[in-house]
Amino acid sequence: MRAAAPNATAGLFAPVRGSIVWILVLSAGSAVMTVVPLVAIVELAQALWPMLDQQPVDTARVWMIVMIVAAALVASFAVAWGSLVVGHRADSGLQRGVRTRLVEHLGRMPLGWFGDRSSGVVKKIVSNDVSALHHVTGHAIHDLVLAIVVPVLSMMYLFATEWRMALVCLVPLVVTLALYGVMMAGVKDQLVKYDESVERLNSATIEFVNGIAVVKSFGQGAREHARYSEEAGRFLRFYRGWMGETAVLQTIIEVITAPVAVLAWVAGAGTWLVSTGSIAPRDLLPALLLGLALSAPLLQLGYTGQAVRNAMQARKSIIGFLNQPVMPQPDVPVTPQGSAVLFRGATFSYDGQRTVLREITAECAPGTVTALVGPSGSGKSTLARLVPRFHDTTGGEISVGGVDVRQIAPSSLYENVGFVFQDAYLLRTTLRDNIRLTRPESTDEEVERAAAAAQIRERIGRLPRGFDSVIGEDAHLSGGEAQRVMIARALITDAPILVLDEATAAMDPDSEAAVQDAISALTAGRSLLVIAHRLHTIVGADQILVLDEGRIVQRGTHAELLVEGGLYQELWQRHERGRTGADVRSATQ
Amino acid sequence: MTTSNAARRPRTLAGKLSHLSSPRAQRQIRVLLTLFVSCAVLQGVAFVMLVPFLSAVFAGDADDTARWLAWIAGVAAGYVVLATIASRMAQDTASEVLRSLLARFGNRLVHLPIGWFVAADRTGKAADTATSGLVFVAATTYQIVRPIITAFVTPATVLVGATLIDWRIALVLVVAAPLVWATNRVISARMKQADREHGAAVADASARIVEFARNQPALRAATNTAVARGMLNQAIDRQHDTDQRSHMSAGGATAVFAGVVHLCVVAALIAGTSLTLSGELSTATLIGMLVLTVRFTEPIINSGALGGGIGAALNTLEYLDELDAEPVLDEPEAPRRPDHHRVRFDRVTFSYGEESVLTELSFIAPAGAMTAIVGPSGSGKSTIVRLLARFYDPQSGTVSIGGIPLPELGSTRVSDLIAPVFQDVYLFEGTILENIRLGSPEATDADVRNAAHQARVDRIVERLPEGWETRVGEGGTLLSGGERQRVSIARALLKDAPIVVLDEATAALDPENEEAIGRSMTALRDRTLIVVAHRMQTIQTAQHIIMLDGRGGIAEQGTHAELLARGGTYTRYWRSRERASGWRLTTSAPLRLPTSQGTPHDKH
Repeated sequence: MRAAAPNATAGLFAPVRGSIVWILVLSAGSAVMTVVPLVAIVELAQALWPMLDQQPVDTARVWMIVMIVAAALVASFAVAWGSLVVGHRADSGLQRGVRTRLVEHLGRMPLGWFGDRSSGVVKKIVSNDVSALHHVTGHAIHDLVLAIVVPVLSMMYLFATEWRMALVCLVPLVVTLALYGVMMAGVKDQLVKYDESVERLNSATIEFVNGIAVVKSFGQGAREHARYSEEAGRFLRFYRGWMGETAVLQTIIEVITAPVAVLAWVAGAGTWLVSTGSIAPRDLLPALLLGLALSAPLLQLGYTGQAVRNAMQARKSIIGFLNQPVMPQPDVPVTPQGSAVLFRGATFSYDGQRTVLREITAECAPGTVTALVGPSGSGKSTLARLVPRFHDTTGGEISVGGVDVRQIAPSSLYENVGFVFQDAYLLRTTLRDNIRLTRPESTDEEVERAAAAAQIRERIGRLPRGFDSVIGEDAHLSGGEAQRVMIARALITDAPILVLDEATAAMDPDSEAAVQDAISALTAGRSLLVIAHRLHTIVGADQILVLDEGRIVQRGTHAELLVEGGLYQELWQRHERGRTGADVRSATQ
Repeated sequence: MTTSNAARRPRTLAGKLSHLSSPRAQRQIRVLLTLFVSCAVLQGVAFVMLVPFLSAVFAGDADDTARWLAWIAGVAAGYVVLATIASRMAQDTASEVLRSLLARFGNRLVHLPIGWFVAADRTGKAADTATSGLVFVAATTYQIVRPIITAFVTPATVLVGATLIDWRIALVLVVAAPLVWATNRVISARMKQADREHGAAVADASARIVEFARNQPALRAATNTAVARGMLNQAIDRQHDTDQRSHMSAGGATAVFAGVVHLCVVAALIAGTSLTLSGELSTATLIGMLVLTVRFTEPIINSGALGGGIGAALNTLEYLDELDAEPVLDEPEAPRRPDHHRVRFDRVTFSYGEESVLTELSFIAPAGAMTAIVGPSGSGKSTIVRLLARFYDPQSGTVSIGGIPLPELGSTRVSDLIAPVFQDVYLFEGTILENIRLGSPEATDADVRNAAHQARVDRIVERLPEGWETRVGEGGTLLSGGERQRVSIARALLKDAPIVVLDEATAALDPENEEAIGRSMTALRDRTLIVVAHRMQTIQTAQHIIMLDGRGGIAEQGTHAELLARGGTYTRYWRSRERASGWRLTTSAPLRLPTSQGTPHDKH
């Protein structure tokens, strides 16, 4: 069986590796083109130098240099633009690639993974994390190359022209690097602390917003507000403390790298060197043109750092997601014969520690109703979901038509096993496409027939565009109506085995009867496995399995189980009490 | 008082920042901006002085060199002092801005009507604002406003200085300035537009992927996933294309800007060189001017990219402005106190935006009795209880308790009078006892346990891994919907308010919950009880039933017996519920079996 997703860990950046090479080349080119005009202007000054002593100059050479400057400037912006375009193209490609990979992975994860909470996870990954990657290809590489190449080239030129002035220029750079190192030393721990305090403020805000209806109605708004303020205060103290710690160094770095400060330093040191006769006056020029901006790209890099850090975190979470196990698929699928469902010693645990289902053995004969009954947490919903492979058993097996569900190709499994649970899975598209989602080749007539059987055709007919109305745009359905669309879809799917959550019928009490009629139309002639909440709906079941703490404790028909006593009888009595509202009445009488 | 002063709201970043921050932060921002401008001017001055300095150096004039060097050093020293002050102050300002904005945000949230929170999911944006959004805003003064000021003020200073040295090269720069400015404006607009398009496309693609994930169970059953894949790929491709387009356009704009700046440099270079060659400009001046020109193209070009940061900060501040513009409920100076607890809706009209829900609705819910509200989905049942709990005020008509309209009671008094049990029960991160205690923070442990017992919460606790100490937060899925409603009923019991508003869970309850909720309602029967009712026994035991017509009004009202005798809408509703309660799951052809158990009504 193929279990792990192939290449899940292979670099996310692999598909854009070619582009990254181009970004590197173009950025390096752009860095060179930044330095060339400065060097050319120095050369221009040298070429014009004789004029100071009233000597003739080589005019052709002067204009030649002017042309070089012009050409370099044009080239520099062309190269910078090229690197930007390639970077952003790579970025778009990267994002599309990652999104496509995420989608593919989503399509292969175990169904049990999907739920309310997983939507949040997916949302964070596809919107926040994928976008955070942008900075790497879009900006960071370019910034990094510039931050390294420009100072290195400049220093090389400076040393080539006059080594003493080069050393002068090197001083601020070295001091900056040293201070930067000191400043960054404790930064990792601080960042962890920062993330923690952001997280706390985040959850305080979320609780504040989510719980506000409750707290306000209980007059406790002030309390939650206080909690928010407290977390905000804590966050601020941290923010202040952190800034305070780095403030002195940060200020020093900013001041000593300021072009004015460097200017004064270079001019001062240069003047001294000239006055001692160590260098000629014209040797000041390269330093003044190239030496003033050596540290600036480094600072830029500091600002880029945070974005890169976010991108790397995002990368980690995307890779973490892609490494989550997928649902294993059979190498040689077997086709099920018939529609019997068999549980053979089925055992299941979500986390490998707490066992939710133990040694479940039961058979659901074709064309019969099997009801799963039990208190909350008894495992009845989990058991039902094992048949359409929301999860795989951790022990024992479940077979459909005589074949272990894990040996059946997914498409063939879902041709045989349909399910209707409480969640309405509707897509933002037309009602027609929603109904024929599982069988896109269905004709309009088939769709309408299914809708009619599901008691929803008339309602759809009243929508502005009928079956072409789009969910969420011009079709706003109530809970019961959405359920009936789901049932119409299940009718189109037409699987011989149906796993049903009975609560679906009662989710919208105001259209309960219509949903029930729809379900009755759906269940006709199928094998039925029902998660039963309201026991009166399953009194006619061929087989009732009573679950308690993950085991089958009783089995039989309604009549047999009532006679037998035990948990079923207790549940039934409680059900009847709740249904008749005996207590309410006795209190009012 | 309804707050609405949209007209007076400033639109620039600095303006908004001042407008929304505390007076102290405002003062600090003003001082900071002055410091930034001063630093930028000093920087320009120092560079202009480079021209006479170089002339002196090249001429070998030691005295002049020393003099100009001293000037440069002096100005640089001034810059260092001011920049140091600015940098230190910027940190204070950032934390003051952050403090005042966080406080403002929290204050605003607590004062917004509950209706604002239930109208849409506000969590994501609110949490983002509190954490990343405002932190970013706090840092913008220093990290974004300052470089932008430097990028324009320093070159402007140099320009003025250059005019004093040689007006001809200055002329080139003077001509260039408006061109650079105009290009910059165009770029900002382009980038903003590109950003918007990009954001919309990303949101669409993300929504489609989330939809794809959420609907996996349905999609897996498809023999042919063409429909879903088609929608998905289309969204991803559209995002990719928009991305490409917006990047090309933004990249193009930036390139044009850089190109314009570079052209100006080249023009100045050519002009300067020919003037020098013809002897009209000294070599030293030319070299000085060229140093100036080159030095200042970079910050100008970089400033183009900073526009994005401004946009992001503006978005956050605009969100705060929007919150300010949200109308809040009128609160009375002196809240009145009702002497009885009869609830009355008098010609109440309410709509959510365009969508009208209640039209001229009137009814009276007698004190000390149970009133059940029934009706088809979307008929406004939940809206009625929300209006009573004052989530919103109606557009017209009055809701009153004990004859006093809610706006005269004020939100605090209303919340004192009403204990609500809503459908979506919010559980805080904490133990069950803590969650129940919310109903009355000063209650004794015994009271809390007693309320828990009455709502049968103790039965839930038996099942929980750590009993009463189990933490049941939003993150956990330990409690089912019915169990959550029991916790919420326990809260209401503990609160002991004269009026209880209950929005019954629509979801089917399992026998245990069904029984527990039935029992705990008994404990609430001595209060004025207003229930959005779904359970048949709740409805039939109500002293007063209000049947909504689904068109914003009331179809019928009266007792169960009266309404059944009338044979109207309610009777039809009741019969369909009875029919539904006799439903059996079978695999035989659709056929409704006669009810063997009889209906609750029959038994009664």
